[in-house]
Amino acid sequence: MSDKPKLAMYWAASCGGCEIALVNIHEKILDLDAAFDFMFCPCLLDTKKSAIEALPDKGIAITLFNGAIRTTENEEMAHLLRKKSRVLIAFGSCASEGCIPGLDNLSSRHELLRTVYLDNATIDNPQEIVPSPSNAVPEGTLTLPAMGDRVRTLSQVTEVDYYIPGCPPESHQIWAVVEAVLSGAPLPPPGSVIGAGRLSVCDECARVKEDKRIERFHRNWEITPVAERCLLEQGLLCMGIATRDGCGAPCPQANMPCSGCYGPPEGTSDQGARMVAALGSILAIGDCKGKSEAEIAARVEALLDSVPDYAGSFYKYSLPGSIIGGRVSR
Amino acid sequence: MKSGVYFCNCGTNISDRIDSNRVRESLAASGRIAYFKTCPFLCSEEGKSFLEQDLRDEQPDRIVIAACSPREHEATFMRVMGQAGMNPYLMQMVNIREQIAWVTEDPEKAAKKAALALKAALKRVELHEMLEKQELEASPAVLVIGAGPAGLKAALTLAEAGRKVTVVEKTPVIGGLPVLYEELFPNMECGPCMLEPLMGEILHGEHAANIELLTMAEVSEVVGYFGNFVVKVRQRPRYVDTHQCIGCGECLDPCPVSAPNPFNCGMDEKKAIGFTFMGALPSAPYLDPGLCTRFTQGSDCTACGAACPMGEGVIVYDDVEKLIERQVGAIILATGSSLYDCSGFENLGYGRLADVRTALEFERMLASNGPTAGEIVTSGGEAPASVAIVHCVGSLDDDHQPYCSGVCCQYAFKFNHLLESKLPEAEIRHLYKEIVSPGKEEYALHRAARNNPNASFIRYRDIADIAVVNEEGRQMMRFRNGNAINADLVVLCPAVVPNADAERLGAQLDVPLDRFGFFEELHGRMDSARSKMRGVYLAGACQAPTDIQRATGQGMAASGYVLSELALGRKIELDPLFASVYPERCAGCKVCMKVCPYRAIGFDAENGVAVVNAVLCHGCGTCVAACPVGAVKSNHFTNEMILVEIEGVLK
Repeated sequence: MSDKPKLAMYWAASCGGCEIALVNIHEKILDLDAAFDFMFCPCLLDTKKSAIEALPDKGIAITLFNGAIRTTENEEMAHLLRKKSRVLIAFGSCASEGCIPGLDNLSSRHELLRTVYLDNATIDNPQEIVPSPSNAVPEGTLTLPAMGDRVRTLSQVTEVDYYIPGCPPESHQIWAVVEAVLSGAPLPPPGSVIGAGRLSVCDECARVKEDKRIERFHRNWEITPVAERCLLEQGLLCMGIATRDGCGAPCPQANMPCSGCYGPPEGTSDQGARMVAALGSILAIGDCKGKSEAEIAARVEALLDSVPDYAGSFYKYSLPGSIIGGRVSR
Repeated sequence: MKSGVYFCNCGTNISDRIDSNRVRESLAASGRIAYFKTCPFLCSEEGKSFLEQDLRDEQPDRIVIAACSPREHEATFMRVMGQAGMNPYLMQMVNIREQIAWVTEDPEKAAKKAALALKAALKRVELHEMLEKQELEASPAVLVIGAGPAGLKAALTLAEAGRKVTVVEKTPVIGGLPVLYEELFPNMECGPCMLEPLMGEILHGEHAANIELLTMAEVSEVVGYFGNFVVKVRQRPRYVDTHQCIGCGECLDPCPVSAPNPFNCGMDEKKAIGFTFMGALPSAPYLDPGLCTRFTQGSDCTACGAACPMGEGVIVYDDVEKLIERQVGAIILATGSSLYDCSGFENLGYGRLADVRTALEFERMLASNGPTAGEIVTSGGEAPASVAIVHCVGSLDDDHQPYCSGVCCQYAFKFNHLLESKLPEAEIRHLYKEIVSPGKEEYALHRAARNNPNASFIRYRDIADIAVVNEEGRQMMRFRNGNAINADLVVLCPAVVPNADAERLGAQLDVPLDRFGFFEELHGRMDSARSKMRGVYLAGACQAPTDIQRATGQGMAASGYVLSELALGRKIELDPLFASVYPERCAGCKVCMKVCPYRAIGFDAENGVAVVNAVLCHGCGTCVAACPVGAVKSNHFTNEMILVEIEGVLK
């Protein structure tokens, strides 16, 4: 058995992009392997859960936990890895804030299963079979982990030491974290966001910012943005102003508005609320002096109508971790 | 941390509904309070003495006062705290009277609500900081832009109060529009005569030494803020030394060139050197380099200089533009207004038909120092037998200016009065949308016009219903319904509109314009002489269409603001409740810049961060809400304070 510190990576409700981001450090993966005993990663290695259970508590130096908590299995693994790890890192947006899977908190579990397994035009399911923890089949009973009512973030389930944001985290930032750990420098205070900046994407975005007055929003395909100018000022719903930097602003530099995957900037908690408050201040509905309430309301309405999807725009990555959390079911 | 609560019974206003003992008991459990004291009337003299003494005895770190609305007595209690040697910002006031006692029937609920509100305040007050008022040196000098009635009145008032005033006027003359009018409504006083005492005081009165008058000058740059503006003024050369010139006018006749005189609306000509009109002040001609052959042809003509009885050096051919810099603490905008361009009304024929005149042109025709020496004549040189006065041209019209310009009816009735005496036979017709003539003196001219047997009134709905036409050599006015009237002379009363340079000045001073282009007042009813920029005040028609009475009144109001806000020997006190940007947290997105209603946010381009000017900031918090990264802090209303306060109520 290796005496190198153990490194684990686990995926809960996630897409696999975080693993790809990790291997995107390219040849540095060899340096990683030289420094760590990379011993658990269901996407890449065949280590069994029982092997983890067999480890002593705190036997793993660092666990990079990606994915949100959706099933009983996700939750069970979160507790297990917490117990076995000295440092548990919520790796990527799903584990940190809930991310795309978290948008399901706008629907009930029943609605979700209906949409995916029954009302789906590409599925032929005459027997109306939907997954459930226990499924009777001719051969016996199949069991599956139960699906929770809501998607939760890792920190809503267990104690998390650090957060690495991003969907997925940028590879250079992953390597920066690894390097920092290897350097032996003191770790930042628990609860810190690491592998990212502290300001907003605007700080890294080279586009020229001027006064912001937005008269309407455009979908990305509707306009060709002026190359050098701030996308938000041109009416593209760029989340960069309310999103933590550290990614290097690759999206706005490529004419794509930031969609917010690095989460809220340091010192702020609710990214969507921040964005809405900021937009509320810069949406231009014209001079309203002497206008009737109805006309003012109509102008606001017209402007808001050009925002395609409130939750999907403002809370694309952060709904479960936000103040609203999702739709309240009664 | 030692926190104390003072619970005011407000007589029985509060104690009738809220049992202070129950509130005390429920707070005691929280462990957040060191003491809880009640007082029958905390705002009374006894109450204040009790509070002061108790603060000295208890020496608390923080206090919460449960009483009436902070709008009523927060300042009172803060003063008491100051007297007791405690920083007054270490207090949170809870309004348990209006918000709980007066609106909650059930004493049980009232006590519970009061306890929750106090719990929230106690959590919040722990985060309060020891804020201090700051002071700033300020220049007591004042800049007045515009030398019309409003600007002059302001300048003289300030000079009389001992202030140094710089008056910047873009034309060669002072007095504004009224000096162009021979007679003024409502009492038919002569315009230049009425203004003469004021202008005389400005030019050579007892306090004239305090006034620096810069004619033919415009503000080219303004930097700084209330108390410390640095203003650059560009003064065009007059080529005449106003101090040596006695205004005799001997230089005019020898001048070989002339051109239409803009001050008489181009209705007569004026020499390259000349007065705007006879009697203009300062009493010195000016030389127009656009006409003088020395400048247009490079000639060596010295005809005017040679004619000057005061000798050489009065006409200064090598005069140059001056760039003058002044430091002032406040600026009064009194740039006046102008008239709506009537040439856009094709049907009215203005600019096309020689006998369609604007009110301003007609005023000059009525003036004895005007192009016709006061005679009312048509372009053919004859006295008109019929005069049509069209009110509301461009006013009360959604396609032009939706507002009533307020002064037109008055001067139209003045025209009626003057026509009646100068041309007793002439038929006068008033065409109007609405007649507006409020005021204790204003009815007289209106009544006289109504009683004039030669006058008739025709109401029209839409300016497009009127057409001025020339039929068989006679000017007529045709109506949409087919009727027609003779109108040898048509006088248009155009809407009063902002001056063309208001936009430039607004941008220079960061003073916003309203939707019509007038300078926007801080509050239309309560603060119309203050702009939204601290230290910049508004007087006269640059703020809204106005008559002389209101313009001079506003000039006085603006001076009053200057004298009280920029008091001699007193520094500018900065309320500590302003916002500030944490530079290390600002990403430079510029979301905050435009949201500030007081233009207090600037941008430090070198460091790429926003900066709040504490002098201009009113602490409204708009930028705090707008900042997407939470980089703006609002003193006394930090996000943390607000959050714990909410938690205190909800958790």
